[in-house]
Amino acid sequence: MARIELCNLEKSFGAVKAVKDLSFTIEDGEFVVFVGPSGCGKTTTLRMIAGFEDPTSGEIRIDGRVVNDLEPRDRGLGMVFQSHALFPHKNVAQNIEFGLRMKNVPPEERVKRVREVAEMVRIGHLLEKMPSQCSGGESQRVALARTLVTNPSTFLLDEPLSSLDAKLRRELRAECDRLHQALKRTFIYVTHDQEEAMTLADRIVVMRLGEIVQIGSPMEIYSNPVNYFVADFFGSPSMNLVAGEIAQESSASRFRSARFEVALPEHFRTAKPGAVTLGIRPEHVIVTRDGNGDVELPVRLVEPLGKDTLLYFDTGTERAFIAVTEGLDMADIKVGERIALSLDQRRIYLFDDKGLRIGNAK
Amino acid sequence: MAMTKSHRRRVTTVVRYVVLSVWALIAFFPIYWIISTSFKLDTQWFAWPPYYFPSPPTLANYMNVWFGAEEYAQTQYAISSQKPLISLYNSTVIAVTSTFLSVLFGSMIAYGVSRYRILSEARMFQLLMLRMIPPIVVVAPLSLYYTAIGLIDTRFGLILVYFLTTLPYAVWMTKSFIDEVPLEVEQAAEILGASRWRTVFEIVLPLVCSGLVATFLFILILTWSEYLLALIITKTQVTTLPIELSKYQGSTEGRVYGRQAALAVGITVPLMIVGLIIRKHLARGFSFGMVRR
Repeated sequence: MARIELCNLEKSFGAVKAVKDLSFTIEDGEFVVFVGPSGCGKTTTLRMIAGFEDPTSGEIRIDGRVVNDLEPRDRGLGMVFQSHALFPHKNVAQNIEFGLRMKNVPPEERVKRVREVAEMVRIGHLLEKMPSQCSGGESQRVALARTLVTNPSTFLLDEPLSSLDAKLRRELRAECDRLHQALKRTFIYVTHDQEEAMTLADRIVVMRLGEIVQIGSPMEIYSNPVNYFVADFFGSPSMNLVAGEIAQESSASRFRSARFEVALPEHFRTAKPGAVTLGIRPEHVIVTRDGNGDVELPVRLVEPLGKDTLLYFDTGTERAFIAVTEGLDMADIKVGERIALSLDQRRIYLFDDKGLRIGNAK
Repeated sequence: MAMTKSHRRRVTTVVRYVVLSVWALIAFFPIYWIISTSFKLDTQWFAWPPYYFPSPPTLANYMNVWFGAEEYAQTQYAISSQKPLISLYNSTVIAVTSTFLSVLFGSMIAYGVSRYRILSEARMFQLLMLRMIPPIVVVAPLSLYYTAIGLIDTRFGLILVYFLTTLPYAVWMTKSFIDEVPLEVEQAAEILGASRWRTVFEIVLPLVCSGLVATFLFILILTWSEYLLALIITKTQVTTLPIELSKYQGSTEGRVYGRQAALAVGITVPLMIVGLIIRKHLARGFSFGMVRR
């Protein structure tokens, strides 16, 4: 059981405030992912929970008990590091066994439990090997096993998959998910990869510049971003964001940019005229080849991915305007061709000049 | 005529080997000459043309120098009061003890610097700067102090001064090895339940072991062959081997080359034996990077 509360947590390194007034509760058994660009304070937060960094101010409570002054080993947590941090002079079995030895578990019991967890993460065949003989993926499984064996109330995972290739990442991501389902423990996972966050989390905590920007389920974060930053950060390919302005006309409000003009849905009727950014996810851009659409844009690049085809349009800015179309029907479009697009009216987002969301697209 | 690329490469290789061979010859000749002289009869030490090989080889120099066996010497020399075996004992005790202390405390300070920043970068440089002071500057005042507090001509006195003068090396060298151990490896041990001491002994120490051994040998060579301090702050009670070596020049006999060579070989051999015993560690210690991130 572990319910972790962070109360007004702050951490400064000299003049730099790495974490600013962070308050958040992680429920028992929850899978929480801290996500954000590098330097946003997510790893510092995790390291404060682990006990490797002392908060400058604020409290950390585990199951109601303040643990600020507790040593890492007395907090009942397990941690998997980005670098795996295996002991290079001990073989895999000794690495996994280490935590049990520290807890004075008798030798026969140790052997049994090492074997069990090794089977659980499918590294039974590696027990006699040295860490230097293991591949990146294997090392990460060993690191996971080493943490699992001590049966911690909470798992802290600090970008555990970032050093692995894409295929292994997917594989181990599924493994983490499976372990969470099986163990029903609290998982706190730190990553800068929005895809990992989306696939793993019960709740995502989006951080930026030491502050929480948004907390919510993956779906909430994806479909209801509170600001430009969150909208831009989540989704792959990321949301189309076009700078322009709102013009209120008698019949409706319209969005205008250099190469782009669309009518806005009814709920933006009250929006103040002025500079805004229009956002729409690539899957909500409808491409038609019969010439009927809100706008017509020249194609900059065609990317056939097999299941989908990505079309990159030129809007006169560096950032391309992307549309996802199913299958390979559009793969034969030529670069430079002008194609008609329309935007799904219900899925249009607007952000003001401070990056905050305007209105509600629901 | 233009040279082909492979031809040019071959010529470069040949030139390189010739230069290196000549260099090796220059470097190793004195060592060879010492070994060779140590086996020569008295009459061959100064002979011209020189004897490149002792003929016949004799152990007389060794027996005479190390065991005071006068019957082996063809000529009687006035220097018969030497006690190289006692000096060997002194040198061993003093060099090994001071080196051990230096590496022990040096690595502890280095750990503190590496993990807890107990010394700032500026302080670390000041520590190294201590080594820049020429020993000749401090040796006279030191001998006055030592006389006053009764440390002159004692083993402890030499151990103390060797320990303190080699400490900066020990700190700097061991720190570079400790820095190589990723902090996360230690933190992993900690969160798995290991105490600070247990982490140091079970995780850090085995990982920096080779580095410590390399540091140990480096400092041992320094203390084993130190001359100036030993000359000034010891008198007759505690002589070390380098001091002993300097005594083989009689006022009437000139240099007693054969005896000196036999002593010199004896001084070098223990270091070589130590080097051989720990050679595995040395190769690893001096190549760094044994910890794979």
